[in-house]
Amino acid sequence: MKSIVCIKYVPDTSEAEVKVNPDGKTVDDSRFSFDINDADNYAVEESVLIKEDKGGEVDVLSIGPKQSEVMIRMAMAKGCDKANRVEDDRIADHDPLMVAKVLAGAIKEQEFDLVFTGCWADDDGHMSTGVALAEYLGVNHASMVKKVEVLDGKVKAHRELEGGLMEVVELELPAVLTIQTGINEPRYAPIRGIRQAQKKELNVVSLDDLGIDPTEVGSDASQVLVENLYIPEVESAAEFIEGETDEKAEKLASILVKGGLV
Amino acid sequence: MSTESQTFTEKYDLLGCIQCGRCTGGCPVTVRADLNVRQFVNDAYDEDKLGQLARLAEIWDCTACHTCAVRCPKGLKPLEVLIGLRSMIVESGKVEPTVRDALQSVLLEGNPWEKPRATRQDWMEGLDVKIAEPGVHVENLFFVCCTNAYDPRVQVTAKNLVKLLNKAGVDYAFLPEDESCCGSEVFTLGEEGLFEMTVEDNTEYLNEFKADRMVTLSPHCFTTYNTHFPDLKNPVIHYTQLMDELIQEGKLAWKGELAKKIVYHDPCYLGKQSGIFDEPRRVLKSIPGVELLEFERSRERSLCCEGGGGKMWVESESKKERLAETRIKDAKELGADIVAAACPFCVLTLEDAMKTLGYEEEMRVAEIMELLGEFTEA
Repeated sequence: MKSIVCIKYVPDTSEAEVKVNPDGKTVDDSRFSFDINDADNYAVEESVLIKEDKGGEVDVLSIGPKQSEVMIRMAMAKGCDKANRVEDDRIADHDPLMVAKVLAGAIKEQEFDLVFTGCWADDDGHMSTGVALAEYLGVNHASMVKKVEVLDGKVKAHRELEGGLMEVVELELPAVLTIQTGINEPRYAPIRGIRQAQKKELNVVSLDDLGIDPTEVGSDASQVLVENLYIPEVESAAEFIEGETDEKAEKLASILVKGGLV
Repeated sequence: MSTESQTFTEKYDLLGCIQCGRCTGGCPVTVRADLNVRQFVNDAYDEDKLGQLARLAEIWDCTACHTCAVRCPKGLKPLEVLIGLRSMIVESGKVEPTVRDALQSVLLEGNPWEKPRATRQDWMEGLDVKIAEPGVHVENLFFVCCTNAYDPRVQVTAKNLVKLLNKAGVDYAFLPEDESCCGSEVFTLGEEGLFEMTVEDNTEYLNEFKADRMVTLSPHCFTTYNTHFPDLKNPVIHYTQLMDELIQEGKLAWKGELAKKIVYHDPCYLGKQSGIFDEPRRVLKSIPGVELLEFERSRERSLCCEGGGGKMWVESESKKERLAETRIKDAKELGADIVAAACPFCVLTLEDAMKTLGYEEEMRVAEIMELLGEFTEA
């Protein structure tokens, strides 16, 4: 079983205030901490669990800066075997289709059974890179996967749909699976494991190394133009419900029903 | 620190144990969890059993209070056997998500609270804080601690300290934003590799600063630096020792009166692990109007609040009364108005217990520095 897991280095916007830069099109990321995208962490764990069960190899693929190598080494400490990090300023990385095209370009010459990605990225939240990647690779895909069963030449993927519905699909390999959080419990990468992972192969490659024409994945090729970023105005209203407990409960229930919340 | 070639038995000197039982007999956790440290020390002789022992949930119940080590007639540290077993789980990567996230945060951001390094000094906003520079001498170099820096409840400790130091004209400086976790909880959670790296990196970093001494705000940093960092150039003290000095020298100007009964809770890391019992008491007694009470279990026998040993990130399976709740009930029985502590973890756990018990109206949990801030001119 040969798998490739695609991971992204993203800012954690939950612990520092999000501020838009004066250009109005980018975010000031100087006060954020960065780490592996949450769903990608589950994708790494799933790929390693399958390797531990079925044998084979897992390669890491990521587009990101030098600082992201700590995230890649952590994935290797958990059991991934080798990695490619793509670094090239010419990639229009705000556009998931351009990102998917680069990932496909890095994968297409290789034999593989499964490609794993997270189902969405915590920063831009497009939820489309994995699906677009399958399209560029010309292989099957299943998105929002909460359970994976590897069969002979096939994979059974349990997809989490709206309202808690689970859909089970069977795909011919090779295939791309976009992994939903909660599918497993990602393990910890101990520092000794990270140090040992320094010995594993990590290649830094450019678009030229991958044989990708920069004009096909740059801002001119992108259909996405960021015009303006802004922080939505906070609007809030609070109503204090008065009265005895029974009255309060009745009023609260009435508000919830009227608002279509129950 | 032990070398990799040692066996588990050699590393923790298991053959030194005479199975007298003083460890288990004094362990505060036994009243609420199925933890028998003497049995672990006994069973760990058998190296084939180690994997099985490491998978027992109760190894995570230890709060690293060190009561077992204080009571051991052979000078052993039975708790470190449990930490050794935790290490085996950490190395396998199969730890609780909360532990995983805390350890990873120490590696990536220099604190276990999953907060960005860039916001470590946000607590200083609006204050006139002197910041240390490498190579520039200062009498008192302050190490703020991750919890005091980031937790909004206990940031008051550092804030009040700055105001008081400025007013008293003390020569001081706080470490800059690149200060990193002391590794206290990394050690007790069993991440040996990360702790070794922390010792190396922090020793190199802290030795760049010239000071007469480094003052820590948390007893956890205080004990960890004094116990595990043999190559630090600057001596390390706890802030209550400095406050005691300033009071003796008459450098604090009191205002108002705190006509309350205060009971002091000895933090395990300050008291039984480092022998600092009198200074915090003297500081509290110095506040005009204070009547200082004593718990029946005080000083070396102080009851652990269960905030140490990485327990801020591991929930016990036991549903029995928390030790912090027992402590608060004891304080209420004594008639205390205020439970004072000098440790961020103690303040957080005791205050939670006080709220759980519904005593908020009649009692208060306070950091000593909170009280000093309220009753000195600043």
